[in-house]
Amino acid sequence: MSIFPKWTNWLPLILGAGAALSAGAVTAGVTYYFTPKYTNDGYQPVQPVPFSHKVHAGELGLDCRYCHNGVEKSWFSNLPGASTCMNCHSTVLKDDPRLAIVRESAATGKPITWVQVHHLPEYAYFNHSVHVARGISCVECHGRVDQMDEVYEAKPLSMSFCLDCHRDPASHIRPPSKVTDLGWQWSQDAERNEQMQQKFGNNAVHSWNVRTRESCSTCHR
Amino acid sequence: MNNLPNSTQEMSGRRYWRSLDELADTPEFKEWLHREFPKGASELVDDVSRRHFLKIMSASFALAGLGLAGAGCRRPVEKLEPFGKQPENYVFGALEYYATAMPTRIGAVPLVVRAYDNRPIKIEGNSMFPGSNGGTDRYAQASILNLYDPDRARRYLAGDKVVPSEDALKFLDGLSSQMAADDGDGVAFLAESSTSPSRARLQKIIAKKFPKSRWFTFDAINSAIHQKAASTAFGHSVKPEFNFNKAKVILSLDCDFLGGEDNAHNHIQKFATGHKAGENMSRLYVVESLFTLTGMNADHRLRIPASFVGAIAAAMLAQAQGSPVSVPAGVDASWVTECAKDLVAAGKDALVVAGQRQPMEVHLLAYAINSALGSIGATLALHAAEEIPEGDFTTASPNTLIILGGNPAYYLNKLGAAKPQQVIRLGYYEDETAAVSDWHFPAAHYLESWGDARTWDGTLVPIQPLIQPLFGGLDELEFLARIAGESQTSAYEIVRTTFGHTDEEWKKFLFNGFQRGQARTAKHAFKGDAPSLSSPSAPSATSLEVVFFRDAKMDDGFYANNGWMQELPDPVTKITWDNAVLVSHKTATTLGVKNGDLVEIALNGQTVTGPIWVQPGMADFSLGLALGYGREKAGRVGTSVGFNAYKIFNGKYIETGATIRKTGMTHVIATTQSHWSMEGRPAVREANLSEFLADISKTPPENFAEEFKDKEPPVVAPLYPNPFDEAAKTAFQQWGMAVDLGACVGCGTCVLACQSENNIPIVGKDQISRGREMHWIRIDRYYTTDPKKKNNPTLLDWNADENKSDNEQQFENWIEDVQAVTQPMFCQMCEAAPCENVCPVNATSHDEEGLNVMTYNRCIGTRYCSNNCPYKVRRFNYFDYNKRPLEDLNGPLYPTPLLHKTGGKWDMAAWWKDRQAPMRSEDEWDLIKLSKNPDVTVRMRGVMEKCTYCVQRIQQAEISQKVKAGASGNVRLVEAQGTIPKTACQQACPAGAIVFGDITDPNSTVSRWKQQPRNYAVLADLLTKPRTTYLARVRNPNPAMPDYHEPYTTEEYKAFGGSVQTPDS
Repeated sequence: MSIFPKWTNWLPLILGAGAALSAGAVTAGVTYYFTPKYTNDGYQPVQPVPFSHKVHAGELGLDCRYCHNGVEKSWFSNLPGASTCMNCHSTVLKDDPRLAIVRESAATGKPITWVQVHHLPEYAYFNHSVHVARGISCVECHGRVDQMDEVYEAKPLSMSFCLDCHRDPASHIRPPSKVTDLGWQWSQDAERNEQMQQKFGNNAVHSWNVRTRESCSTCHR
Repeated sequence: MNNLPNSTQEMSGRRYWRSLDELADTPEFKEWLHREFPKGASELVDDVSRRHFLKIMSASFALAGLGLAGAGCRRPVEKLEPFGKQPENYVFGALEYYATAMPTRIGAVPLVVRAYDNRPIKIEGNSMFPGSNGGTDRYAQASILNLYDPDRARRYLAGDKVVPSEDALKFLDGLSSQMAADDGDGVAFLAESSTSPSRARLQKIIAKKFPKSRWFTFDAINSAIHQKAASTAFGHSVKPEFNFNKAKVILSLDCDFLGGEDNAHNHIQKFATGHKAGENMSRLYVVESLFTLTGMNADHRLRIPASFVGAIAAAMLAQAQGSPVSVPAGVDASWVTECAKDLVAAGKDALVVAGQRQPMEVHLLAYAINSALGSIGATLALHAAEEIPEGDFTTASPNTLIILGGNPAYYLNKLGAAKPQQVIRLGYYEDETAAVSDWHFPAAHYLESWGDARTWDGTLVPIQPLIQPLFGGLDELEFLARIAGESQTSAYEIVRTTFGHTDEEWKKFLFNGFQRGQARTAKHAFKGDAPSLSSPSAPSATSLEVVFFRDAKMDDGFYANNGWMQELPDPVTKITWDNAVLVSHKTATTLGVKNGDLVEIALNGQTVTGPIWVQPGMADFSLGLALGYGREKAGRVGTSVGFNAYKIFNGKYIETGATIRKTGMTHVIATTQSHWSMEGRPAVREANLSEFLADISKTPPENFAEEFKDKEPPVVAPLYPNPFDEAAKTAFQQWGMAVDLGACVGCGTCVLACQSENNIPIVGKDQISRGREMHWIRIDRYYTTDPKKKNNPTLLDWNADENKSDNEQQFENWIEDVQAVTQPMFCQMCEAAPCENVCPVNATSHDEEGLNVMTYNRCIGTRYCSNNCPYKVRRFNYFDYNKRPLEDLNGPLYPTPLLHKTGGKWDMAAWWKDRQAPMRSEDEWDLIKLSKNPDVTVRMRGVMEKCTYCVQRIQQAEISQKVKAGASGNVRLVEAQGTIPKTACQQACPAGAIVFGDITDPNSTVSRWKQQPRNYAVLADLLTKPRTTYLARVRNPNPAMPDYHEPYTTEEYKAFGGSVQTPDS
């Protein structure tokens, strides 16, 4: 009598099939989760009002902080109230049908329901004010919003994306006065721009006591 | 680690035990100790096997996997709704602070309340208030949960009918005109005590407009005795202020000024200031029957029945006046004479206080002693006060009774002599009194209303709202103004008119939260003679003494529906979700009862049934009954929790002549008392003042707490360097904490402050009894006893006890006279944290600043970390407690949703059909969500959590400093600049026993505390290098007293640690 029962004859096959299945599951998981699709790179929902950042921030040159005025004081960069829009639109395009919702909101106080584009998980505590105050431009996470007609998520906003910058702040830090100037560069020449950025960045990291943190408590609490 | 003492020697050396069970070393307790988690804590107790559960779980995971491609795993679409009209100066997400106050019966607690997005989140004391360190009491911390209580009164009721608020207000106007017509004939007002000048003004208007109406004040917990006694003693309407900070010798005559008395937080602050280890340390004598917080902090404690306290007071007075002294039988006369001598020696620096429970005679005796000592005007300040109206409403029989707050139908089990024709009531809950009311108006919370109040010293404080009434409740002032028929009915206008002065001053008043220079100090001399007392008869097994006391959590019963309060362990007994009949060992043995036995107490022909709890330190044949439990209509949390001691309460807090009868039934009492025992290690270290002074006078100063270290197992060097040591070099600051055990009185305010700040859920009685409480702060309470009182007086001969059976030892006399020590225990933030290296997923790790951080979204719930934590400070979410319905909290075990049916349908099936359907009803969940701190993650099931040093506050402080710094290097937080954050426990602590700060800054308070010669770390021999250290406790006993003893704790530790041997030797 054999030590091994008869079903063990199938064991190599079962193991092989199991390995293949596991490998397949891993591959499928990576293909699905480790992609820009999963991180919602490029997410571009349809908004209730056809507001164009390209026109306002790009062509008209409004500063980001005219509307997002809480960005320097709070963790949250607020959306402007409809009354802020009406500061201009009570005279400019005052009867435009595209602005009907805005006018109604400003008159009644009923909020406009925008769809959030840039969304971090609830367990990640990101603070706008500290990044803006310490010379991290809006463009680092939001991309060239001043060139977008309809805003989309330009960067993956994943944890590794955050860490890329936290591990190398010198390449991203800029003078705080240039934070909302999205197209700003040290030089038109890419190589020279890079050199000047590194020089400024290293200097700033040293003299501003920038010690970006990578430990869990930085964002999770 | 393997050189821990073997179990026999460990038993022989035990100095502290934490419960009678532990002392008795019952098999149940042994099981407790030796199982990592208590029985049931780590297993499912449904009638389904673990294997079956796993099968179902894996099936559901497979189903979840199928849904991978579906919408279930996609990110939800989030909506943002900005204002239509942007309010000026409003920034979403920025924290706001407002000064206000919580009114109490005889004062007010000045507060600063933090609001987020215009909703109050956290209550803190107003540290700007003169003489305040920003500490609060338990009630103030917990009161924010009442605001968000889903069971609070929300409706205007006429009988059982819901009426629109306009109709109800119209009714009040009608009532007013009717009263104006007949001068208020047959109308009586019944209100709780208040110090509000605005209410007093309206009361005067009402008395003038409706001269035939009558006004009564009634409190179930009557603290007015202090003012009444002082007014009698001094012949003027005054209220006393006890300056424990100025006193050198304090005698408490059954006065639980650190616990049950009103203004306890103020007393704790003052007492901790005066009782600081050093040359001028004060000394506290306590004479009492219950074992109270004050008794726990006493240097000398006399355990006698409460009815004998008057006799002791008389004896003290006689000794102080040089007359012959007589003490009741069974009391050591030298205790009284030596204590009185110490008082006389202190002279005007002495202070004698009588308790709220004690009758008028004892209070007058206390004032007589103070007068004889010359302490009036020195340690005992007097402040002018409004007179308290006399009159007993229970004998008045009005036609119309208007009730403001309170719950008289519950306190009295009925309403007055005969039920009035019409009862109109303004109440916070639809409770027992609401049930007998003809009209019920929902009252606004104090965080929703305008008002004013006077604190203990007469300082005027504003009560300003932080939020509109959530359910349209009425302010007390508006309610009264409408009845008075005033044209001005807005509470704001009423308070503003009462305040007077200019608008500038008004704004300043609201900004500061008090009006400076309003203390109304009065100077009067003691008048009249000390009263004579009839000698009380000694209580016995057939004529028991009953002492009714204010519960540390329920107050008079108002907080019954507050889950935080129900779940807070009682500071002394550590009982949660219950009250009990507290008895001494002798009483229990004589009556043949044990813990959990339900007994029926008969007093004056009335009976009540409650469970027995044997409490060390209780007077013999005295029963301690906490008021405020056994509510019939409290709400979903508080209904039928505990038993209602008011059933045998007739207005006298101390009565003799009760009998008890065993019912034969038992009741399960959930306590947190013996969880996670320290197993006899020197966790709390103590010395007498003389030894401490001798130590610090040496050069260099000696640390007596470190002496224990020699007796700990030898320290071995770690095998490899700690990676944190390198990481620490990259940070600017290193956080640390120090806790002064000499200051901590064990009141429990920090536990509630932490719960409020850190979104800690309520788990319910069943979970507590399984050892699954969630509080991040555990206040360990250890009892110690005098070895001389043991049968065998030889200190080190413990074998005599070893030979005794558990039961014999449990009922030994010597454990009646105990001392207690408290120790707040939270995450020690070990630099070499044992929890971190066992986590398989790196969910708990170290940051550069020395915090042992917990990343909830990484945690998979293995509980290895808790297993490996020597301090047992980690807490696990066994269930999704936040989603648990309120009515389940006091109920049976919360079933797994997988195997639970609601209304005959499987929860799992319902979930499958509608995955968004909440387990709590929607309105309830919405309200609960409002109370959560948005800066802290709300944890879900399967996640480990623990104290974080309030990492959110650290982060906020660092961020605001960096924002301020901008393009400069000024990012370091410095204590001298006030930029170091306070942890929630530190902020709330009235004793100032906790400091937190930067240990790399040699000038920070925490660094200076850590350099003190009584600093030590708990379990330092494990090389965990805790960032939280403790300052050893110093006691100040009087060498002349008969119960003076040397610091025997040291000797005991020597006996314990000195005999460390391998089991074989």
